[in-house]
Amino acid sequence: MDNSKNDSRRDPPSRGFAREVAGRFFSRKLACLATLVVIFLTLVAIFAPVIVGTKPVVCRYKGGIYYPSLGYLDREWEHPIFRIDKFRNNYAKNLPKKDPDSWAFWPMVYQDPIRRVRADEKEGVPDSETLQPPSIHHLFGTDPAGVDVFAKMVHGTRTALLVGFVSMGIAALLGIVLGAVAGYAGGWIDHFINRVIEVVLCVPTLILILALIAIVPKPTIWHMMAVIGLTRWTDIARLTRGEFLRLRQSDFVQAAVALGISRAAIIFRHILPNALAPVLVPITFGMAGAVQIEAGLSFLGFGTPPPHPSWGEILDDGRANLTCWWLVTFPGLAIFATVLAYNIIGEALQEATDPRLRDARR
Amino acid sequence: MMRPLSCLSVGWMIVSVVMADEFTPPALTELDAKASWVDRPVVNTLEKLTKHLQAKKRLASDAEVLALKNDSKENNAKILSTLGRQPIDPKEVNWNAAWNRRMGGEVKSVNPILFSSVSEADLGSYINLGLFSFDWELQPLAAEESVKSWQSSADGLYDKVVLRDDMTWSDGSPITAHDIAFSYRVILDPRVPALAVRAGTEELLGVHAYDDRTVVFFHKAAKATNVWNINFPIIPKHIFEKTYPADPSLAKSPEHVAMETNPISGGPYTIVYRQRGSEIVLERRESYYMHQGKQVREKPYFKTIRFRVIEDSNTALLAVKSGDVDETNLVPEQWIKQTDGSDFYKRNTKVKEVEWTSWHIVWNLQNPLFKDKKVRRALAYAFDYNELLERLSYNLYEPSSGPFHRESWMAPRDYPAPYQQNIDRAEELLEEAGWTDSDGDGVLDKDGIKFEFDLNYRSDPIIERYCNVARESFENVGINCNLRPLEFTVLVEKLSKHEFQAAFGGWGTGTDPDTYRNIIGTDQLRNYGSYSNPEVDKLFDQGASEFDRTKRGEIYGRIHRQLFEDQPYLYLYWRSSFYAFNKDLRGYFMSPRGPYNYGPGAGALWRVAAP
Repeated sequence: MDNSKNDSRRDPPSRGFAREVAGRFFSRKLACLATLVVIFLTLVAIFAPVIVGTKPVVCRYKGGIYYPSLGYLDREWEHPIFRIDKFRNNYAKNLPKKDPDSWAFWPMVYQDPIRRVRADEKEGVPDSETLQPPSIHHLFGTDPAGVDVFAKMVHGTRTALLVGFVSMGIAALLGIVLGAVAGYAGGWIDHFINRVIEVVLCVPTLILILALIAIVPKPTIWHMMAVIGLTRWTDIARLTRGEFLRLRQSDFVQAAVALGISRAAIIFRHILPNALAPVLVPITFGMAGAVQIEAGLSFLGFGTPPPHPSWGEILDDGRANLTCWWLVTFPGLAIFATVLAYNIIGEALQEATDPRLRDARR
Repeated sequence: MMRPLSCLSVGWMIVSVVMADEFTPPALTELDAKASWVDRPVVNTLEKLTKHLQAKKRLASDAEVLALKNDSKENNAKILSTLGRQPIDPKEVNWNAAWNRRMGGEVKSVNPILFSSVSEADLGSYINLGLFSFDWELQPLAAEESVKSWQSSADGLYDKVVLRDDMTWSDGSPITAHDIAFSYRVILDPRVPALAVRAGTEELLGVHAYDDRTVVFFHKAAKATNVWNINFPIIPKHIFEKTYPADPSLAKSPEHVAMETNPISGGPYTIVYRQRGSEIVLERRESYYMHQGKQVREKPYFKTIRFRVIEDSNTALLAVKSGDVDETNLVPEQWIKQTDGSDFYKRNTKVKEVEWTSWHIVWNLQNPLFKDKKVRRALAYAFDYNELLERLSYNLYEPSSGPFHRESWMAPRDYPAPYQQNIDRAEELLEEAGWTDSDGDGVLDKDGIKFEFDLNYRSDPIIERYCNVARESFENVGINCNLRPLEFTVLVEKLSKHEFQAAFGGWGTGTDPDTYRNIIGTDQLRNYGSYSNPEVDKLFDQGASEFDRTKRGEIYGRIHRQLFEDQPYLYLYWRSSFYAFNKDLRGYFMSPRGPYNYGPGAGALWRVAAP
């Protein structure tokens, strides 16, 4: 401590690696913007049932408080009382009819991501026609089934983001652990893991997913995420291994070894935090890739079947109805923006963590 | 009995020996003495169609109709009656014209006995010699182009055909009765992958050529369906008897590979160019309609037929709009939304007609969920037909209530009205069947089993939308329905193994109602839902051995009513044909199997000569 105080006369105190990187990262305007985009999308994904839907966010019915809009996340989470009381998906009509004392807090926009809104469902909301251009009632138009594209887009955000986060979560876990073990242990373990990486690199993700859809009796979005995760960890593992090879020789690791700290502790407590920053780069790029894969699969008709809206599926409808520009423009822009944001973040991270790149910019 | 595998190495001789053992034809004199022959129709289908159309009134003039938009029933009738006509004067026809047709999928082979798909059937009508055909009322007949006389024995066991003596293959050698007997043998050879063609042909007892002109078909039993079994494609004996023993796959040897691009044709056209996956070009064959300097058959209207392989329906529509192809079928969305503007009407017009292809949800009756008739009826009441018919298919489809179309001769006189959505009735029926929500989770259950099932369908956005209506409808009565799209081949495999709960599908009409037995008869091959009703089986037996069409119609009508009662399928709608045609094309007549698959079918179309 004393030493550092003395040094501070010549140099400002070190802010620590994480802060340093964060500082450099946020000094870039584009990176800030991209981060904002991702935060915005995350908020949209989380609050999708509040933004648009035909099920109340909160309602009071027959003396109880319910959250029917959770049904958009999972059918099971919608309280069965509404099915038992034969609401038939029509809350706007049935709530006041079946319980005059009920009240409900409605989503901001009354439209549904998985079904067409019928006439006389709610006052002021007209019958949804198929393939309508954007209007005051349908902000982004309607699809060939008459479903509101805005509602599909908002609820589809969840799928898009979830695919990125979950699949890359799996990939990161696998990649970091295997990379760390390979880099630290060296020898035949390193050799073996490297060969595994090479084998996995040869497996084309898209084709594996298509094969999986044919084999698995009930393929869901989670299967898809698992496959993406299980095939996309190689870059992360390679980078982690490289970092470990470098750090293994450093003084603080030698000190830890000398102190007799266990291998696991050295790998995960001492080296890993120092190796993590560069590893974030392939993870963000991977997220962009995963979003693209999901949209691509849905576009090809191999995505998740209804009732799970996805951006790629809207694009696919657009392909069949080329004159309906709104079916192409909005999901196209959304996919573009998301992938671009992830890529910008990845690139900014790369420059912020790699001193050579940082210095080259000066 | 013969096992296909064991005879592989021994070769072709074994097959013919076994066949000879099984069936020895009697001498013709003996047969003539035994059978009392009844003459059957030998028809020039084009002439028959021309007469049929002349009797109908033309509703408008060409110019008037070409300026019309097909946006109403009246206009559709006007266009069909005017542009669907045959030429009054041969000068009206552009005899040097080409017709650019769209082919929805690549043909696997151009050898007619290996055909199985729609594309292959389309091609087959140009290069295959056909003895038999059927008209737009699905009445069987012998084609005047190739048959001099056709007689059936009064006991229904034999069919005797005398061929014309002015027919040649495209290489100049004569077409004889021996070609027919030879083709029969090849089709029945288990080593030949002629699965689709073999299906009816194997019902025959034998086929024998008595001389170059006379061939007799022998049947195992007297059945009304025999007439369809004698209709199989014919290949040239003088070519294939040399190449076929060495390569029974008909696809692997160098000779057979060469024949894929340059086959010998027995039909009105020959293939002059073939690029796999993209194009097949056919030229009119002079030796077909001319014989020794004299015209002996109708001259085919087009000089050139060019098939362009375009799988995607959107691409096909763009090709029609730009004039690259002259015809395509349309999907409802295209009919309503994309063929309204001048970009379409500049070069084309469009027509529609009901086709007897019925779409449905098939329930797997082996599954305890669907065993009870009441449950199946409840599901039929729960379905939101309006959403499917009005919204998703723009009122372009007719609702369906069973296997036979209202206007067909097989339909019952008291035709059952299709189901209408009635959720209360559905709930009542489910409760009667014992399905209630006893555990209060919002989903019906019975004996501890939740009412939740998977609905399989071919992965296709339009079909998915229809299935989504089913999902929503069933959810409203407390049944969870999960949508599970499958690739088409996987779907068919699962269906034939009965490894499914419910599936969305359709059946096109066969040429005879007896073909429906294969779909709904007990333990039949394509009875995916395992429906079984002895009453229906008995009716099929009766129908097959009854020769009077009116009486047959009554029998099949009873089957229709029984199926409506039992609801093994949730009958949804009849798919219509929607076609776009270039404005220069004439002569399209819409049969229950669309404009091409009947006699004369595609042969009726012609291109108008420039004025």
